[in-house]
Amino acid sequence: MAATIRRIGLASGWLLVSLVSLMPILGIVVGLWPPEHITFADIGSFLGYQGLYTSVFMTLFSAIFSTLLSLYIAFMVYSQYHLSRRLQSFEKYLAPLLSLPHLAIALGLVFLFSDGSLFFADSGLPRKGLSTLIIAIVIKEVPFFLLIFSAIGRQLPIKYWLLQGKALGYQDYRCWWLLVFPALLKQSRLALLAATAYTLSVVDVSLLVGPNIPELFAVSVYRWQTSFAVGDQALAFWANALLLILLAVSVFILYAHEKLAHAGCKVLATKGSHFYIGIINPVFRAWLPMLGVLTAMMVVVFALWSLGFNLHSDSFDRINSFGLTQFSTRLWQDEWLFFALPLQNSLLIGFFAGMFGVALALLALELQRQKGKYWPDYYWLLAIILPQLSMVLGWQDLHIWSQGGYNIGWVILSHLPFTFAYGYLVLKGPFQSVEPRYEWLAASFGYSSWQSWWQVRFRLLLPAIFTAFAIAFSVSIAQYIPTLMMGAGRVTTITTEAVAIASGNQQDLIALYVLLQSILPFIAFFLAALLARGFRGSMGGVDTKGDTMGEDSVRHY
Amino acid sequence: MLDIINCQIEAKTWRITLPDIHVGKSELQVITGPSGIGKSTLLHWLLGNVPEHVAISGKIMLSGTDITDWAIEKRRVGLLMQDVYLFPHLNVQDNICFALPKRPKLFSSHHGSSKKQRRLEALNMLEQINLAHLAKRYPQNLSGGERSRVGLIRSLANQPQVMLLDEPFAALDPSTREQMGSWAFQQLADQNIPSVMVSHDIEDIPASAKQLCLADYNQKK
Repeated sequence: MAATIRRIGLASGWLLVSLVSLMPILGIVVGLWPPEHITFADIGSFLGYQGLYTSVFMTLFSAIFSTLLSLYIAFMVYSQYHLSRRLQSFEKYLAPLLSLPHLAIALGLVFLFSDGSLFFADSGLPRKGLSTLIIAIVIKEVPFFLLIFSAIGRQLPIKYWLLQGKALGYQDYRCWWLLVFPALLKQSRLALLAATAYTLSVVDVSLLVGPNIPELFAVSVYRWQTSFAVGDQALAFWANALLLILLAVSVFILYAHEKLAHAGCKVLATKGSHFYIGIINPVFRAWLPMLGVLTAMMVVVFALWSLGFNLHSDSFDRINSFGLTQFSTRLWQDEWLFFALPLQNSLLIGFFAGMFGVALALLALELQRQKGKYWPDYYWLLAIILPQLSMVLGWQDLHIWSQGGYNIGWVILSHLPFTFAYGYLVLKGPFQSVEPRYEWLAASFGYSSWQSWWQVRFRLLLPAIFTAFAIAFSVSIAQYIPTLMMGAGRVTTITTEAVAIASGNQQDLIALYVLLQSILPFIAFFLAALLARGFRGSMGGVDTKGDTMGEDSVRHY
Repeated sequence: MLDIINCQIEAKTWRITLPDIHVGKSELQVITGPSGIGKSTLLHWLLGNVPEHVAISGKIMLSGTDITDWAIEKRRVGLLMQDVYLFPHLNVQDNICFALPKRPKLFSSHHGSSKKQRRLEALNMLEQINLAHLAKRYPQNLSGGERSRVGLIRSLANQPQVMLLDEPFAALDPSTREQMGSWAFQQLADQNIPSVMVSHDIEDIPASAKQLCLADYNQKK
């Protein structure tokens, strides 16, 4: 009887995690299922769409360029702090720094450096443009890659490679490039793909700070998807197909880049050549402190705007004359009625999507452990390596077909694949690194397998689980497309409101919503850190299985 | 020739004051002692990798030159550890190429074929020890003994002035260890390289080696 219950329990567990992990594939298949009125003749009008080629090229360029630029910057930063104790302490601040959503960084840049900035007048950064978008993406992705490197670095004998390289007469920076970079690059494949896929199909950031003429491809795809015109629906279908092709092209380019970089390093290593580029690595020691200052400035500038501090109004003069007494909470009071519900929705959705996502990630890991074999990360992380637009379109079609109505339950479900993927990413390393002998010991004391799991493994993992929850919560808070499409505008969150308001011109209101969007993940990380302090556990996981994106890695949403 | 003069290793609770050590060409100096006494620390100091948890003072003279304050990459000191850390993205031949001394800049810039020459040189080294068949293999496809041999050849390819061995054969099975040990010491002796080896296994120590037990010089504070 007990064996039967156990078998049913295992089968249900596998069914549950399979359903969540396969949701992205299901979405892509349904989203790309050709509607009846679509014909091949529509390809002509799609390919002839004005500005399509420029838009596609800009999108592909920004995705690949920002990803590779982030990779190289992150590598140079990592080479500076990997073995330095003082700099290693920055690592623990990376997670909260990373919690700042893409949207907040993009608008933070605009508030700080664009025309009308409080601090840096005429810095030349356009309000909307490819350069602004790329800079925002790079600022967000560099810490992401740093955490990936940090996780991979724990599995590699970097210290000894450097020691051997130096003993053989190579300078430190040469050793980093010739010996460490090829290994890190190979193991960062999935991270590179995730970063590229994100930029390819990101709508909110592209819409607000990306170029207008022509707009980036993801914005066009979303516009066509949400249009009622039959012609636009045909365009949306072919555009989604093209989005997948762009992803395939990106995979090819990233692979070619890896091969080229690998071959380059190999040639330089075997030639024993004089190679100076790495000499600039020390410059990147300043990156992390600068990022911290920039993040703080962004939050401060949002707060100042939301409190009525406006350089372009006479309040600035009043402040100069009377000190800071002219700050006003009027906007917060007036707007409270409007943002109370989105805030409540954001918190509820974030909490439940985060909690379920982390619980399912734990379940997936435990089921694999019991089976004795871990599936490739690609399978579990499909939600973050496939274009979000196409998969959410499929979910929306299924949702309409099921006549499910519009409530936060569906929105939570649409966030689940993403919170699950990030939860899995964060927990995998710590989960695998828990010493199995602890559980054997518990079993020898007479504990059942479930008891020893709960009282030993789970307790050891608690700090990692809190961090995973904070990350999953932040992922959920930042979701725009799934919330908008599955909530049909009836379930509003701080992010959907922030994007809607940011399309307008009321700077103080934009600042208020983006500030709220930034604060929520900060609070989650703060609470997670506070809770984790009370538990001793396993956070320094070792993942020895092939490609990995790391464990306590990763905020990439 | 290697001379270690006035060397003192100092931790919070103990201090070791070593006698002056002289290691001549082809000679092997073995440092022994219980775990945690500072054997590997001493070796890493000789390499130029300054330890953080203890203070070491003294002078390192290599062929009459004081190299105490030199950076690792300037010392030409070979290192062979228990795990030889062959670079996983390079095959055996390229691992050796990596270690071959760099050509002067002017010379290499005029020689498009220098990569070819270096590979040939690496292959020759492998042929001399009958390991040419491993040239194209990657480290993960080598046995423990093969890895150790390639590791030593890689270190020798760099033409070191002194070789440091940190329990280099500890991970090998007893028969391979014996075979590998005598082969390695022969290679070092043939090339007139002074060597310092750290070991706590007396079976690893050849009869001709000079021994120094750190425990004999340990003083509590």
